[in-house]
Amino acid sequence: MFIETNVLKTKLLFFCFLIFSAQSLAQEKLYFNQTELGFLYGKGLEQWDGNREKRMDVSFLTFHGARISKNHVVGFSTGFDQYDEISVIPFALGWRGFMGKSGKPKIFAGFDLGGGSAVLEKKVKDEWNKSWYEGGFLVSPSLGISLPAKKGKSALSFSFAYKRQQISQFWGTFIQPGSQTIPNELLPPGFSSLTENNLLFRSFVFRTGIMF
Amino acid sequence: MKSIYTFKAFLFFLSIWVLSSCHDDITTTYTYRTMMPIYLEMSDVRARVFTTEPAKPLDNPGKIYIYENYLFINEPTKGIHILDNSNPSNPINLSFIPIEGNVDMAVNGSILYADNYVDLLAFDISKIGDIKLIKRVEDVFTHMYSHDTGEIITFQDTVISTENPTWQRESGWLMDARMSFSANFSAAAQSYGTGGSMARFTLSNQHLYAVDESTLRVFDVETPADPTFVKPIDLGWGIETIFPFQDKLFIGSNNGMHIYDASTPSSPTRMALYEHIQACDPVVVNEDYAFVTLRNGTSCWNGVNELQVIDIEDPYQPKLKKAYSMLNPHGLGLAGDFLYIAEGVHGLKSFNVSDVMSIDQNQLEFLTNLKSVDLIPGPNSLIVIGPDGVCQFDYSNPSKLKKLSCIKVSNPVNVY
Repeated sequence: MFIETNVLKTKLLFFCFLIFSAQSLAQEKLYFNQTELGFLYGKGLEQWDGNREKRMDVSFLTFHGARISKNHVVGFSTGFDQYDEISVIPFALGWRGFMGKSGKPKIFAGFDLGGGSAVLEKKVKDEWNKSWYEGGFLVSPSLGISLPAKKGKSALSFSFAYKRQQISQFWGTFIQPGSQTIPNELLPPGFSSLTENNLLFRSFVFRTGIMF
Repeated sequence: MKSIYTFKAFLFFLSIWVLSSCHDDITTTYTYRTMMPIYLEMSDVRARVFTTEPAKPLDNPGKIYIYENYLFINEPTKGIHILDNSNPSNPINLSFIPIEGNVDMAVNGSILYADNYVDLLAFDISKIGDIKLIKRVEDVFTHMYSHDTGEIITFQDTVISTENPTWQRESGWLMDARMSFSANFSAAAQSYGTGGSMARFTLSNQHLYAVDESTLRVFDVETPADPTFVKPIDLGWGIETIFPFQDKLFIGSNNGMHIYDASTPSSPTRMALYEHIQACDPVVVNEDYAFVTLRNGTSCWNGVNELQVIDIEDPYQPKLKKAYSMLNPHGLGLAGDFLYIAEGVHGLKSFNVSDVMSIDQNQLEFLTNLKSVDLIPGPNSLIVIGPDGVCQFDYSNPSKLKKLSCIKVSNPVNVY
């Protein structure tokens, strides 16, 4: 799991780079940007008494894409999502589709697929233990409305999205000096135990921002 | 219009997905090392026929025994490797005897004794190419029996992954060093080394003595091919090593050194218990003194790191003669006036101990790049066991060790 996510991150970064390169060569008209700020809302993990606490945190998204036809844009998105104490930087490939006439309010839908990175989370390590976070799979379909500005090509946007983000939390204890190591594929080298919490955050996202 | 339908369909699936799950979830996986109990029927174990197998690469070597020009190297719980060591610069791996549950051995004449879980086996090794099992003494290491039905319990160091939050209470035990030590008949045990100072099987006066963590077991081997079990002697907890010298047995435990009078070999009696603070303590002995290393380690967490010289002229009244501070001493070996100490990760030291009051001033060499846990001063070479494998040194000049060879092993002992 911890290796897979790294590969995922690398692939995503590579895609971002490709799209950026394509953009800079393309005409200005081709470029599409959606930048929004809002909040994530979800119901947290089940507590001991069976209840779930509500979770509401900040969410920022910036989508950069290229128009492939009149109503369709593909590109990538990144941003910042906070889930309780965990800060996540999402990287996703995305699509935006529009319905409506030019110069009028439009309905749009979006779909983002990628991964969230937990690079902002600190690794804690001492003589006996180490704990850290690793990012994971991210999918986020969205719906919204865009209200064009009177002048220029920009628009005010309101989005409603669903976001499913996986994050892994690891807590391991080191092999005590002197213990014989045994070869195995389950534990990373040097560890005698590892607890892996696979967290799945399901959130509704409300954002507002601009498109151009 | 078509795009409207696509859009509606999309909305429909989106809403199903969204509404089906709208709260956070967690799944937890616990992966941990544990000593898994393994239950075996001794009748099955005994039914298996021993056949010598072709040479296998050395893996996780345990006890080493020198017999004529051969080296017998135990691989804990798996069996015994046989190497031709006529040329210590180039030992040749000859064959492997698979013996389940084996952790120790001793050679008496042309008979090899080896434990096989609860039984003691005797092999005729007079023809090294044709080793034969000639006797099995049943039910002697009885502490392994889980109950009376002939089922034994043994432990295997295993890594387990589970989603059960009560994993600590599952059938395994969380692995830590103490567990490893008390379950020392497992592969994880720190029962390496030996033939040297960390031995658990030893031969003296036509008797074979075997120590486990609390008991000394005596076998009469006057007729080497026909070992017979004499009796067990309770020693108290924490027994680690046994070293015979003349008519005495020096038994190292983690809180002291027992001295047993073995002049009646079938019935050793305790002469004294020289107590020290809790520490790991291999022992070697000469006419007048016992040399004991105490170290601070995993199984001996409260220890100090020192070499103690104990006056045993009166074995009923052992007295501390002098203590020398050390770095992290493990096994040790005495060859005449020369004492070699495996200093763990720090290296290997050699001393001239003819004057026990000034050992520190008579350090001959300190090989800091030679990490070691135990050593055996053999007739043709000094055998050093460490993370580099099983290495041999020419020590004909005691103050200047000369490396002859190193047998590479997978999973060498860990130095700490």
